[in-house]
Amino acid sequence: MAKTVDQYFNDVCETRVWRSIFRSGTGSSTLKRALAIQQNVFLHLFSTKVRTRMLSFSATWYLGTLTLGTFLILVATGIPLMLYYHPSVPQAYADTKDLQFVVSSGMFLRNLHRWSAHAMVFLVFAHMFKVFYRGAYRPPREFNWVIGVVLLLITLLLSYTGYLLPWDQLAYWAITVGSNIASAVPVMGEKIHFLLLGGNAVNANALLRFYVLHCMILPLTAMFFVAIHFWRIRKDGGLYAHSSEPSVLRANEESKTLTASGNPKEAK
Amino acid sequence: MDEEKTTGKDLSRRQFFTKLGLGSMSIAAAGSVAFAYQYLEPNVLYEPSPVVNAGKPDRYPLDSVTLDVNSGIYIIHSQEGFFSVSAVCTHLGCLTAWKPELNMIACPCHGSKFQRNGAKIEGPAPKPLPWKRVWLNDDGDLLVDRSTDVPALARDSFVRV
Amino acid sequence: MADSKDFVAGVDSNAKKSPRRIVFITRRTSAQVKAETEEQVQTFPEVLFRAAVAIEVLAVILVWTALMFNAPLEGLADPSHTPNPAKAPWYFLGLQEMLHYFPPVVAGVLVPGLVVMALIVIPYFKVNIEADGLFLKDRQKRLRIFYVVAIGLSLFLLAFKVYAALVPTLIMAGLMLLASQCSSQSASPFRRYLAARPLSYWVMTWFLFELVVLTAIGTFFRGPGWSFIWPWQGS
Repeated sequence: MAKTVDQYFNDVCETRVWRSIFRSGTGSSTLKRALAIQQNVFLHLFSTKVRTRMLSFSATWYLGTLTLGTFLILVATGIPLMLYYHPSVPQAYADTKDLQFVVSSGMFLRNLHRWSAHAMVFLVFAHMFKVFYRGAYRPPREFNWVIGVVLLLITLLLSYTGYLLPWDQLAYWAITVGSNIASAVPVMGEKIHFLLLGGNAVNANALLRFYVLHCMILPLTAMFFVAIHFWRIRKDGGLYAHSSEPSVLRANEESKTLTASGNPKEAK
Repeated sequence: MDEEKTTGKDLSRRQFFTKLGLGSMSIAAAGSVAFAYQYLEPNVLYEPSPVVNAGKPDRYPLDSVTLDVNSGIYIIHSQEGFFSVSAVCTHLGCLTAWKPELNMIACPCHGSKFQRNGAKIEGPAPKPLPWKRVWLNDDGDLLVDRSTDVPALARDSFVRV
Repeated sequence: MADSKDFVAGVDSNAKKSPRRIVFITRRTSAQVKAETEEQVQTFPEVLFRAAVAIEVLAVILVWTALMFNAPLEGLADPSHTPNPAKAPWYFLGLQEMLHYFPPVVAGVLVPGLVVMALIVIPYFKVNIEADGLFLKDRQKRLRIFYVVAIGLSLFLLAFKVYAALVPTLIMAGLMLLASQCSSQSASPFRRYLAARPLSYWVMTWFLFELVVLTAIGTFFRGPGWSFIWPWQGS
């Protein structure tokens, strides 16, 4: 029976409709595999080939990929959560309670969203430190590092704006404290505070602004910078793969001295 | 697709894992779809109850047609008793109006006209106005359930007081 | 380049400032590039499948966590009643801990602002391409600078009684002192490792250490009124 399913699937793949959508088709030849990347609007951000050394888990611990994974989970859980949430006061709190106790799978979605958010902040920091200790920020990758710092700030802002949305005591006072810190900025502090909250205190306007920031502006900004981040990885010569970097090759050739620990003179 | 040479019915390791993988992914996908659908259907609605309390029957004189604009129903007191007809036009949902001088219910949107028993006189409306279930509660109030249709002109569709 | 010189040379460059490749083209020869051909694999399937598996494992862990543990939800927001303590989300607790010692302008604006600026600027600094160990060159001079900075910072933290930040600083200073005594010929692998660490490593590790300690204190060791409590004592 499996054979006929395969046959059926192959027949579908031969149809005009299918081939108008998927122009290159599947296959395990090098060409077909390269086309699978290059012809795909989302995937052609990547190059069709990568250096083997870049696949190593110990190099990066895949932290960047995992951060992206948490982001995808957050978008996938956040959008359904939006369907039951009214960003008004005090309806927001009632909706959060509803999501937990009334809506089917609501508790699960909210939990997943919350823990993925914590995980993402943690992973983004871990990713930054791992990139630093690998030395993957050095030229020509400086600008990508800066993009990374921008993404770190966006992640923290996303987490911060999302924190207010349940409108419980935890949310309200955490955001009050945080926005008061913003008003400590010299010269512009009060203005920033006023603009951020849409008022003088954390009230309905603040909730709506944080909602729009959290659900629309910041995710779009994040995706924009993530795209640049991935593009730069590729354009800067792929993931930093230590001993095949030109600077290290040269250093190796110039002086064949190694440190006593057996590594070429390089920071880890 | 790349297929290893297998002897007859034997599965190669690749085929086995492909089947295992695709199989479990389809089960997971099916489960996710089921849960997602359940999630999307609200369990609780914050809407007014479909049951409307129309007050005491003696508010409605014989042969009167009374429109309740807030609940979208007509309360009609005829010889056979009290009955209720939906005031929502069956064409595209506009609120109809009772025209006593013309003795008919008229819809302002596209000109559909109905008799007081819901039957269509003319217009683009596809169906007559549905009758809604009426009954008396313990206090003697007339109650109308807008979510339940009853057959037009049937004996049980009237409430006799 | 059709003249009688034997070769044409490139510009003077400081390799440490900006790495450049210089090609010496001798007459009657052409520049030959010895390319290092490194082994390459296809993005699909190698990269994509690994990424998919990594994300799937992550998803499993997160889903299990979501099924096991509930997200917190306290009472309705009440502007007239401030809970005690009123804590920020965990990733800001390091900041909130510092707010305990310094005014908001410093702890809330200055320090985070400087941290972000420092992070952005790191790769543009005089890049230590060969990444020498900090004390392997100019040892005496660097030791002097180190003493000045370390003692200055420690006194500053002591003056403001920021013990939370002082202890990690002292520990890192201790490690750096140890590193200054070691070299690539030292006895243990650990000492050799320390000796080879460049300045950027020390600064970043100090920052990471401070971040972890301050956040941990803000999370576990602070109770009502931001008073010091033991973690088992309470909220």
